[in-house]
Amino acid sequence: MSRSPLDEREILFVGGKGGVGKTTTASALALQAAERNRKILVVSTDPAHSLGDIFDVSIGNREREILPNLWALEIDPDRQVDAYLAGVKATMREFVRPAMFSEIDRQMELTRQSPGAVEAALMERMAQLMEEGRRSYDQVIFDTAPTGHTLRLLTLPEIMAAWMDGLLKGRDRSDSLGRAVERLSGRRRERSGDSPPKEEGEESERTGDELSWFQQVDESPGDERGRKIREALLARRRTFSRARRHLLDPDITAFILVLIPEKLPILESRKAVDVLRKHRVPIAGMVVNRVLPGESLGDFLESRRSQEEEYLAQIEALFGDLDPVRIPLLRRDVDGLEGLREVARYLEPFSSPSRATS
Amino acid sequence: MSWKEKLQRFQELVNEFYEGRHRGALAREKREEDDLFMLLVFSEMMGVPNPASYYTLELLPILYDEFHEWHTRMGMDKSPLEHFRCC
Ligand SMILES: Nc1ncnc2c1ncn2[C@@H]1O[C@H](COP(=O)(O)OP(=O)(O)OP(=O)(O)O)[C@@H](O)[C@H]1O
Ligand SMILES: [Mg+2]
Repeated sequence: MSRSPLDEREILFVGGKGGVGKTTTASALALQAAERNRKILVVSTDPAHSLGDIFDVSIGNREREILPNLWALEIDPDRQVDAYLAGVKATMREFVRPAMFSEIDRQMELTRQSPGAVEAALMERMAQLMEEGRRSYDQVIFDTAPTGHTLRLLTLPEIMAAWMDGLLKGRDRSDSLGRAVERLSGRRRERSGDSPPKEEGEESERTGDELSWFQQVDESPGDERGRKIREALLARRRTFSRARRHLLDPDITAFILVLIPEKLPILESRKAVDVLRKHRVPIAGMVVNRVLPGESLGDFLESRRSQEEEYLAQIEALFGDLDPVRIPLLRRDVDGLEGLREVARYLEPFSSPSRATS
Repeated sequence: MSWKEKLQRFQELVNEFYEGRHRGALAREKREEDDLFMLLVFSEMMGVPNPASYYTLELLPILYDEFHEWHTRMGMDKSPLEHFRCC
């Protein structure tokens, strides 16, 4: 099964264990594509942003053009949470007595500090970026936080969509039960007014268990509150299912796993591959970074090299089907455009149309 | 009243009796459904982890005035939310 080369995917995720070279890889891919006249957005989702450092510019929470065709963004989930809570707070104040205002503020403060809030906000922003980014850019590249965090984030849309589904079905059952009750009451009123009784079995469609709730949205009687709840839930659900759809579409999304030839990164990559495959997130390739270069290195590094050789063999055995691409350990840290271009040259195989990925 | 009318009246009474019970059962079922919904939305505030609590927070304003009725019906005469007193 052959797929489009990485260049043609609209969404790239670059992930891997801490410090292995995710930001370097994401930046090199982004710069290379931008210099090929494609409009690129590179997004850092790691709260410890280093994207700005590598390009030597300050980036921040807004999309900003840092080089021709190259836009960058460092998501600040705290600010995202604050804005959302401020919105909820403002609406709440319309509904409650002023004496309650400080209670509400305290409640919002608690939510802000709850462990899931930042993650939820981050996921929401990423979902938006996947949706809007596809329209405004040729490619959106996510430089992600270390693996565990990112994997959780990628599986969240599925959980959330299911959760919203559950809530929506509950609302739907409640609505149809409400309608059935109304109908029975209405029938009694009609009958006492001597109108002919209605047919049997009318209330039989009250089991709204099937997915029919989707159509029922418009038909349900104008219960304002119910409509608002349903709208809010549906909007959420739509965002999550869309994010999910994009994530799983191998013509749109590709996950690139970065590792270095050492024991722990290999173990972690194995877990990551398992989780990604289990959730059917398409993995497009692997970067083996910091491979000792071919030149002679002296006794100390030569003995490291023999150990590295074992790890490289393990990587081939475990991940050979991902066609790993190697980047040598460079003389200096990767910094600035020249360094990134050098790294990008090693990533050239990703642009080859013959690459078949899963 | 002719016997025909009597029979009809009798049938109506029987129908009403069963529909009344049916209606009661449906109404109860609806209330249970709504209570469950409240529980799902407010669970995190009561210390039960809820992965979607951040996203359903925006329902709070809409559900606010049902909240008091709900927690009293649930057998909690004081608001279960320490920081969210409605009574
Ligand atoms: N092939 C390489 N040769 C030499 N230095 C490298 C190479 N790849 C990355 N580096 C350096 O290693 C450091 C870590 O790289 P990078 O920031 O890309 O990793 P990361 O996976 O994004 O880390 P974090 O998990 O902290 O976000 C940087 O200083 C980078 O310049
Ligand atoms: Mg990084």
